[in-house]
Amino acid sequence: MASQTPAVVMDNGTGYSKLGFAGNDSPSFVFPTAIATKGPAGGGASGGAGRPPVAQKPSYLTGGAGPTGHLSAKRGTEDLDFFIGDEALAQAAGPGYTINYPIRHGQVDNWDHMERFWQNSIFKYLRVEPEDHYFLLTEPPLNPPESRENTAEIMFESFNCAGLYIAVQAVLALAASWTSSKVQDRSLTGTVIDSGDGVTHVIPVAEGYVIGSSIKSIPIAGRDITYFVQSLLRDRGEPDSSLKTAEQIKEELCYVCPDIVKEFTRFDREPERFQKYVVEQLGGKKVTVDVGYERFLAPEIFFNPEIYSSDFLTPLPNVVDNVIQSSPIDVRRGLYKNIVLSGGSTLYKDFGRRLQRDIRHLVDDRLRASEARSGGAKSGGLEVQVITHKRQRHGPWFGGSLLGQTPEFRSYCHTKAEYDEVGPSIVRRFALLGGPGT
Amino acid sequence: MLLLEYHNLLLKYILTERFASTTPSSIDQVISDFDGVTFHVSTPESKTKILISISIKCYKDLLQHGAQQVLEREYGPYITETEPGYDFSLLIDLENLAEEAKEDLIRRVSLLRRNTMAAPFEKAIDTHHALAEAAKAVSSESAPQATESEVMVIRYRDEEAMYIQASADRVTVIFSTVFREETDRIFGKVFLSEFVDARRRAIQNAPQVLYRNDPPLEIRGVPGVGDVQGDVGYITFVLFPRHLTQQRREESISHIQTFRDYFHYHIKAAKAYMHSRMRRRVADFLKVLNRAKPEAEEGEKKERKTATGRSFRVQA
Repeated sequence: MASQTPAVVMDNGTGYSKLGFAGNDSPSFVFPTAIATKGPAGGGASGGAGRPPVAQKPSYLTGGAGPTGHLSAKRGTEDLDFFIGDEALAQAAGPGYTINYPIRHGQVDNWDHMERFWQNSIFKYLRVEPEDHYFLLTEPPLNPPESRENTAEIMFESFNCAGLYIAVQAVLALAASWTSSKVQDRSLTGTVIDSGDGVTHVIPVAEGYVIGSSIKSIPIAGRDITYFVQSLLRDRGEPDSSLKTAEQIKEELCYVCPDIVKEFTRFDREPERFQKYVVEQLGGKKVTVDVGYERFLAPEIFFNPEIYSSDFLTPLPNVVDNVIQSSPIDVRRGLYKNIVLSGGSTLYKDFGRRLQRDIRHLVDDRLRASEARSGGAKSGGLEVQVITHKRQRHGPWFGGSLLGQTPEFRSYCHTKAEYDEVGPSIVRRFALLGGPGT
Repeated sequence: MLLLEYHNLLLKYILTERFASTTPSSIDQVISDFDGVTFHVSTPESKTKILISISIKCYKDLLQHGAQQVLEREYGPYITETEPGYDFSLLIDLENLAEEAKEDLIRRVSLLRRNTMAAPFEKAIDTHHALAEAAKAVSSESAPQATESEVMVIRYRDEEAMYIQASADRVTVIFSTVFREETDRIFGKVFLSEFVDARRRAIQNAPQVLYRNDPPLEIRGVPGVGDVQGDVGYITFVLFPRHLTQQRREESISHIQTFRDYFHYHIKAAKAYMHSRMRRRVADFLKVLNRAKPEAEEGEKKERKTATGRSFRVQA
């Protein structure tokens, strides 16, 4: 293994970027997809306020004497003066730097920033020479092909990377579920429920290909749950109801209950279910926050959105069912059988179990209704299975790591030579990685 | 970020986190570094025993030039049996580790690659000092002795190598570089000529840098030189005694080692910068083009107004 350099797996999401090497069980770096640049939105997005300052003569050497601010400023090294990830957030708090998020809604919004973000991720964090490594990047479903081409241009022309594979996040999330013991056949057919911080997607995938017309997204995700917890805390007048506290309570204490009414009575019967959460405030002061019904109410907004939102009212199980019903009829059985969770907001205890039960109810009701209508015909039944597994949090990254370490991975990539031969349009098509027969 | 760090950030993170936490957990990570260096961090026996292995392409070359001694000096008690497939291994037992030693250990381990590669440089600098002493003893009349050591070759990449030679008044480090990409080669050339000029213009005490396309005299006779086909460039750094004093040597070694990575990093950074300017330019041109579009179909059926406000059509 040491003879061949491991592939680099980069999963750049709207909120966080996950970077690492294929074959590892967790990403090496997880940090916000943020870049802090000098000046008021210098290489700004589409505003076009002004071109980047022109370096008179980019002498990197003289500027390289060290972080002596005034000297390097004169010598035109502004293009290297930026920070990414956690450092960017820290720098942006001070003067001089503005923070930018190059990815919006899963898609790259500002290529200048993205290019520099990658540059720093590769050289500073991962410390690899891109010419020696193959890269596996991810893209959201329904990413425009132009976006792929741009990515390829940057990866091949700026970084000369040895080879590139761009995979759809949902497909990688399916691959990640192969680690679960419930999965017997390693098929790439299934429904992916990808719930991150900003938005939740339900994505049907058939044989490794996303059924684009059936994708549904739900405007309820991690951030909304945090807001919901926060509003509950505020209503009760808890001593600390900051967003951070709400987030920690959400992550540590929340779970999904089987029945919301029974859970209320259970809480009243068993007072030990009410918990206290100790928050250390600024200056070392400690306050205790009571945590009550929000423990099960918060994730409940997926199943009963009316308790949180007034304009989106379809529960998640119904959305999943609708998505599968709108997919081609010959793959529906596979889609019901393999519903895979991915992303941080699916990590609540018993989330999968509740989802499976609710979807099964919907399916069984429909079957019974059609049996009654058909007058005596018997249905063979339909298997509904929601798969939870240990790698859910960084599902797409882990799937990438899993596929990137396979010996045949390199043959699926487009290499630099092929890119030079064909041009950027080569990345419009990739052979299906990990598909049937491999 | 002008300079690259010498230590491996990831090794540092992992160790810092492991040392700080009280609950041991198992690790199994493969980490890569520049120039095909691979680390493997794992906990094979128990969760408290961390095994760190490094695989480095030129380990054989390095061994010849005293890598073993340097590594023993740096990591003495932690060295363990080498993991198969790798070149050198360290074992850290979290259970008997003094609190005050941790920080130093993190630093040392994260510099593993740098220290492994440092051996030939240290040897060269030592030889330089020895030769300088010897040269002092010799009076000008006596026969000139051999004042140059033989050239040390470190093939740290498949096609590229470092050559180090010590002599009485300097240490010469020569890098051979190969560019597979035309654009890179041009950027590299500009970049290197800046290096050569820098001494003339701004920094007088910088090491002398020479760049040429044929092998320099020092390494003409060395086997393997000139074997590589294609466009090979040779960059020569001449380190003078002032770079090689006891206080400076560690710093100099770190700097010169990362030269290639630094060089390539900046070529790529320059390209990224170029690209951002190209994008900007395209956006500007597009704006001009859009402005040049004729206004909505005017001409034939143009409406005009009379002074009273009634409108009429101009007949063609």
